[in-house]
Amino acid sequence: MLELLAYDFMQRSLLAAALVGSVCSVIGVFVVLRGLAFAGAGTAHAAFAGVTLAYLLGLPPLSLAIVFGLATVWITGWVEEKGRMKLDVSIGILYTATMALAILFLGLMKTYNPEVYGYLFGSVLSVTKEELITIGGLSVGVLGTILLLSKELYFIAFDQEMAAASGVPARQIFYLLLTLVALTVVIALKTVGAILVFAMILIPASTAYQLTHSLAQMTLYSMLIGVFCAVTGVLLSYMFDLPSGPSIVLLATALFFLAVCCSPKRLHRVHPE
Amino acid sequence: MNHPIIRFDHATFGFPGTIALEDITLSIPESEFVGVIGPNGSGKTTLCRAVLGLMAPLRGTLRVLDCACEELRCHHRALIGYLPQKGMLDRNFPVTVLEAVMMGRYGALGLFRRPSGKDRDIARQALTQVGMDHHRDSALGALSGGQQQRVFIARALAQQPRILLLDEPTTGLDLTAQHSVVELIQQLHQQLKLTILMITHDINMIRSRVDRLVLLKTKLFAAGPPQEVLQPDILSQVYGKELVITDKDFVIVEDYHHH
Repeated sequence: MLELLAYDFMQRSLLAAALVGSVCSVIGVFVVLRGLAFAGAGTAHAAFAGVTLAYLLGLPPLSLAIVFGLATVWITGWVEEKGRMKLDVSIGILYTATMALAILFLGLMKTYNPEVYGYLFGSVLSVTKEELITIGGLSVGVLGTILLLSKELYFIAFDQEMAAASGVPARQIFYLLLTLVALTVVIALKTVGAILVFAMILIPASTAYQLTHSLAQMTLYSMLIGVFCAVTGVLLSYMFDLPSGPSIVLLATALFFLAVCCSPKRLHRVHPE
Repeated sequence: MNHPIIRFDHATFGFPGTIALEDITLSIPESEFVGVIGPNGSGKTTLCRAVLGLMAPLRGTLRVLDCACEELRCHHRALIGYLPQKGMLDRNFPVTVLEAVMMGRYGALGLFRRPSGKDRDIARQALTQVGMDHHRDSALGALSGGQQQRVFIARALAQQPRILLLDEPTTGLDLTAQHSVVELIQQLHQQLKLTILMITHDINMIRSRVDRLVLLKTKLFAAGPPQEVLQPDILSQVYGKELVITDKDFVIVEDYHHH
């Protein structure tokens, strides 16, 4: 096992997986508690549309992934805020529209480009040094912002109107949360792929949700689960010659069902006095 | 009379094409306990949202804490403790009682500042004031409806507010819990001299406890001491039903639950 760490590509892969696992699982806590689960899925597919357009135009793929991701989450937030339609409907429309754009851009490419498909299915073992620096920079930025504004993020996840009424700039914090979700999706796009990135946001946080009654503990548990699944998934992927994205996500899914079965909330449900 | 802490001057609220409250003129002095009553859709919650600075008047003015409501900044809002209508709390939401009450400190603390030991002491004192300190490490979802309301009142008190806004605090509670919560609110008013605006459907529960009743039906229908507002002719005009006042002065509105 240790000889694996001697390879540069494996060091980069494990570091990328640990960064993605931590940032996805921490932002996932707020996504799960604020009820934005479907927004994450929509953003991932929008970001992939940005990647395909970038390859078509010869631009850096992550730049347009960020633009498409941010545009999607901000439109989603605006629609929810204005109450024009139900959130799941608006996300469903954007989700399918951006996926249609991605397919259109893929169709316009003259040749088959395996790098593009790497963003769709994930290829953590091929993460380059430059991509690792980008992932690291964005991860530090997202986690640092969450650390600085965690109390406001917890409050809007609990009750946004109550937060606004208490003097917290809840609307701005909500849009910041959406922005962080979009950046997280972009960070994880290369590692686990557009199809599975959403699982990395949702599953560790949902697993931690089963295990504790405390917000602080939920965040810690989610982060530990996220990093464990990402790193172990990469190792399993290399050892058994499996695709990395599915290895990470299926391991996380197995832990989720284990947590559901062993959840202290269900086994020792406290009845109101 | 004390200095008005909330002052509506011919204020109209709503959205373009929909008026929720029209031409309200009302002054609420500091330390007054005001009950806000009226049928469903009469504008009670709109009044609440306006005082919180979440809605600006379409016409007229509203001043809260000597600020025009559209200028209410976060530090002003932190001086208004708010108990929203009881929603459906996810029983598995991972928050302890103390964590929920600490949220009351966040507005006053401002961005980027971490809660200190002093903030924790204030939150625990608020829990003691509502008789819930011994539950501070319990999961909020494990408490009964009445206990959860006490925790949310503690959260509002942790803001160290000058105004307490309570939107139907007894809705969804059993009779014992209703009495317990209303008694707690009255006790807090007497001890802390807070200005309290309490929106309610339960006239009987608050009529002997408030200083003044405000009766709404899109407009300000009546405002004054309970015995002046709770006149059968006034109430029947607002609720549209015949009323009976018994020997013990309890007001009964026929078909009350249909409103």
